[in-house]
Amino acid sequence: MSYLDLTILDLHKALVEKKVTPLELVKEAIDRLKKDDNNAVEYLMEKEAIELATNIGEIEVDNPVWGIPFAIKDNFSTKDVPTCGSSDMLKGYVPVYNATIVEKLLKKKAIPVAKVTLDELAMGGTGATGHLGKTYNPYDPSHKKMMGGSSCGSASVVASGIVPFALGSDTGDSIRKPASYGGLVGFKPSWGRISRYGLFPFTPSLDAAGYFTRSVKDAAMLLSIVAGEDKNDFTSSNKPVENYVDNIDKPIKNISIAVIKEIVESISNETIINQFKETLKIYQNLGAKINYVSMDKHLLQTLFPTYYIMSCSEATSNNANLDGIKFGPYFDGTTYIEAMKNARTKGFSERIKRRFIIGSYSLMKENQNELFLRAAKNRHKIVDEVNKILKTNDVIFLPASPTTAAPFDNKVDQLKDEYLIADNYMVIANFAGLPSITIPCGFENDLPFGFNLTGRAFEESKLLNIAKALEDKLPYYNLSVRSKK
Amino acid sequence: MKEVTIESLKDCANRLLFDMSENEYQTLLNEFKTIKEQMKIIAEDKTIDSYSPMVFPFEVSADKLREDIPDSPRSREEMLKNAKNKVAGQIKLPKVVS
Repeated sequence: MSYLDLTILDLHKALVEKKVTPLELVKEAIDRLKKDDNNAVEYLMEKEAIELATNIGEIEVDNPVWGIPFAIKDNFSTKDVPTCGSSDMLKGYVPVYNATIVEKLLKKKAIPVAKVTLDELAMGGTGATGHLGKTYNPYDPSHKKMMGGSSCGSASVVASGIVPFALGSDTGDSIRKPASYGGLVGFKPSWGRISRYGLFPFTPSLDAAGYFTRSVKDAAMLLSIVAGEDKNDFTSSNKPVENYVDNIDKPIKNISIAVIKEIVESISNETIINQFKETLKIYQNLGAKINYVSMDKHLLQTLFPTYYIMSCSEATSNNANLDGIKFGPYFDGTTYIEAMKNARTKGFSERIKRRFIIGSYSLMKENQNELFLRAAKNRHKIVDEVNKILKTNDVIFLPASPTTAAPFDNKVDQLKDEYLIADNYMVIANFAGLPSITIPCGFENDLPFGFNLTGRAFEESKLLNIAKALEDKLPYYNLSVRSKK
Repeated sequence: MKEVTIESLKDCANRLLFDMSENEYQTLLNEFKTIKEQMKIIAEDKTIDSYSPMVFPFEVSADKLREDIPDSPRSREEMLKNAKNKVAGQIKLPKVVS
């Protein structure tokens, strides 16, 4: 086992004990990235990473990310490093500033080694729609199974054991679903807990910056570093940042865990359901109280359409600046309108264009009441119901996905409950701005699957504590393709 | 609600300043059929109009003033780095008035 295969905190110990150097780690990560065949990388930061590692200076004993290699989803702006959001529309774009989350990690001397791919502009859930094509799930060497998205590249490189953590973004479940497919810890904080300055906006009312790790404690430690108010993001919260590691091992006796019956009932996979029941027993043995609660099935069936209408509507507006003049490649034209039309026609994939049309159609004056506003009202209703559950329960606990990683050619019936409910319910955390975490909980046919915990807004400390209690009882700490071998 | 037809979708695409292939308009038309089916579930909810549209998950207050701290803006060269065609420190575009 190489030191690079360790979690962040274990790796930090090795760095402090001078068993390994940041330069050795970076060189090994770069080497693994070059050999990786999962199509995860947009831009290899070889020169930049080696320079940072060479000039890093003396070890900082109290800084757990000092010298730790990591990857960045390519929708976070990185100064002087190409950032295209996996869209031809931004091919060649080089930001002039760093996203706040990147800047904070750089200040702490963590070392980015790659910009990694995603579904185009983070709009997708398969990891197959970026301009590089499909990103493969490292647990399936036949390359038939998806990584999930949109943070497919981030999930892939952490699951492959190339880096111990990677930044991602989550608008519907874009961190937490690929975390399930990749046997990873995938964390999204409360809305506004981590600054989104420099993150390409998809649906700002839902977007969250977050990350993948291979342990809950790593996720907690990272949050203490990257959370906080940012003058460049007026939606960032000014609530004090806690030390999220402090309470991570607290006993969870008397914690109240809600299980939404209708969501569990919409899952047909027996392995997942049986393992879910086993984990409930673990929680009960730890002294937690399990409460089966109900949510109106019709309301649950509306989660996906509500998300789709709202996200397409916000996306079409937020991406209006990608016109080949302000941003994106310039294509000629006899008028500036023609130049913009040429750029947008050639730059966006057809799939993204369809989303923009759906969004614009929903926002049109004559359609707004029946589409956008109706979806926004329904979001309010959903949030009220979810918050009602969390009033008397500390967290909501459910399987993160009804299946393990699906094949790329999977055809789903978009009107069936398993799709509308179990496959899309994690968006409730985005609707209500709640912190949410997926942790690895089992395997079926050599493919991992995870379960998800969603807590009250800004109660990340408690959420991470409850997640860690389960992680401690399962054999999936620091899981990756390498450790599984 | 405005009827969804190939023509209305083309009009929408045109307003958004892009074009798509004929096949894609057909795919989109089918996608709209599914969306309308899914949105029907919300339409059947008689209580829905008693909720106000939710745009942000929490109250966002942007009424505080920042400290007035002088800062150096980015240089013109840096800001123009991503522009393909530039002349005299400005982005060059096709003529607006011919």
